[in-house]
Amino acid sequence: MEIKQTAMAGTLESSDIQIILRAGTNGYEFELESDVAKQFGDQIKATITNVLQAYAIENAQISVVDKGALDLVIKARALTAVQRALAIVDTPNWEVM
Amino acid sequence: MFTEGQVVSLTDILTSKDVRSARQTQLQASYPEQIICAVKLNIPGNVKTNAAIVNIFVDGWYNILAALNQAGYPVQHTVEYRELATGPEAFIIVDGPIVAVKKVMMELETQLPMGRLFDIDVMAAGNATQLSRQALGFPARQCLVCDQDAKICAKTQAHTYAEILAVIEQHYHQYFNDFRWNQSNAVNFAQKGLLYEVSLNPKPGLVDPASTGAHHDMDVFTFIDSSLALTPYFNAAYQTGFNFHEDDLTQLFAQLRQHGIVAENSMFTATNGVNTHKGAIFSLGILLGATGYCYRQQLTTLTHLQATIKAMLATLITTDFQSLANKPTLTAGEEQFLKYQVTGIRGEAAAGYPTVFELALPQLQKTTGTLPQRLLDTLMYIAGNTRDSNLIKRAGQLEVLAEMHEWANLYFNLGGSKTTDGIAFLQQLDEQFKERNLSLGGSADLLILTIYTGLLTATI
Repeated sequence: MEIKQTAMAGTLESSDIQIILRAGTNGYEFELESDVAKQFGDQIKATITNVLQAYAIENAQISVVDKGALDLVIKARALTAVQRALAIVDTPNWEVM
Repeated sequence: MFTEGQVVSLTDILTSKDVRSARQTQLQASYPEQIICAVKLNIPGNVKTNAAIVNIFVDGWYNILAALNQAGYPVQHTVEYRELATGPEAFIIVDGPIVAVKKVMMELETQLPMGRLFDIDVMAAGNATQLSRQALGFPARQCLVCDQDAKICAKTQAHTYAEILAVIEQHYHQYFNDFRWNQSNAVNFAQKGLLYEVSLNPKPGLVDPASTGAHHDMDVFTFIDSSLALTPYFNAAYQTGFNFHEDDLTQLFAQLRQHGIVAENSMFTATNGVNTHKGAIFSLGILLGATGYCYRQQLTTLTHLQATIKAMLATLITTDFQSLANKPTLTAGEEQFLKYQVTGIRGEAAAGYPTVFELALPQLQKTTGTLPQRLLDTLMYIAGNTRDSNLIKRAGQLEVLAEMHEWANLYFNLGGSKTTDGIAFLQQLDEQFKERNLSLGGSADLLILTIYTGLLTATI
């Protein structure tokens, strides 16, 4: 699947995460900002990667600002960002939830 | 306690963040010159609001507004959403430099008893993100349970839900249901207030164990007798507040006044007709009644104590000073109101004792040294910052207040109670008060109330 439009989900509040998806050409290109990037950067990227793969997105530029979000929050925000980027409004792909 | 209430879903919570974020953007556009503070709570689990949670929020909210005003950053506007299923939240629009406002908020998050449950974001127009602690060089917030970086504990789910709730409940219990506020402690604190005050020396013009000051009809023993005679009254006042169930708190004050009349008679019987504690009977009765009321409501905070007092005395000034012109005999306070328009202890009480809660108690918290040193410095601070109606009455003119202000300044410039110069000055002042027949009865009453509230809050 190709990203149709730049999309954003989430806020910059503590315990939340803001994810911006843009069309890409070179796999998943992450830009991650987090106070806990050192310990949890890979885990955050892996969670978002799982959601992108579930929607068969092959290329994306992913900007992430994490404010200490829990894994389930990261999933939910990633899912919303993907749906907006693909311009889908139907029910979420529950398999990734 | 925190698991009772409406359950919300993750979607509800995330949507509430989106809505809040949108509101913030709107406010930033509407107030481009001001700072926006978003105040909300961090409550774990899927119940985000109930009576206990709203208590935490409301109490913190008043403290936040007071701290901003005290720091000199005037609050321009507030928007409150107390009823949301996703938890109470509010916005404050305030004037001031963003870094300074953020620092005030960070201090509150650390210092308020329930501060760790608060999450206060500070932002200004043009800044996409709120100002972070780390951006100011401050450490990350600590975990509620173990003092590690809170974000790491959250990510690793280091603590169970039950463990976190237990800590919150314990804090809540300590703060809103403080055992210090129970009847036997509160009555004890009222007695201590009276006895500490009379034991303190040297005091200008007032009775203490070493001197009867400018008083000829009483000594420290008269005060001991009078203090002990008031024990039944203190218990009755506390119980009256504890058992008060009506909505109109002015009725609580009306009931307390009846007990106060009985207490004045007990005092005069114990002292052979000398007025030792009339002012203290009035004020301690109000405070004990309010303390019993707050303890019963499980709201043992100074914020609620003060709010209760204000509600109790909402009509005091109008009813008491209304028909004075026709009253055959007047008290000192009533006479001064007619003569100088000074509302005295009634004005102080009706305003929720601002001299006690906003001046004297914070000052007592700052004092150091032994208990008598701390109390002497607090007494002189009160005397220098109040319109003591007993002093005015004895001087027969208002100009004495300016003199008192000077004396207090001089005392603190000499170093206060911890220096021999300071103590020598108090002794000189006592002599001068005796010669001029002056005393500080009003300030002494306020010190008694400050001791009482200091004991309630474990300040002393």
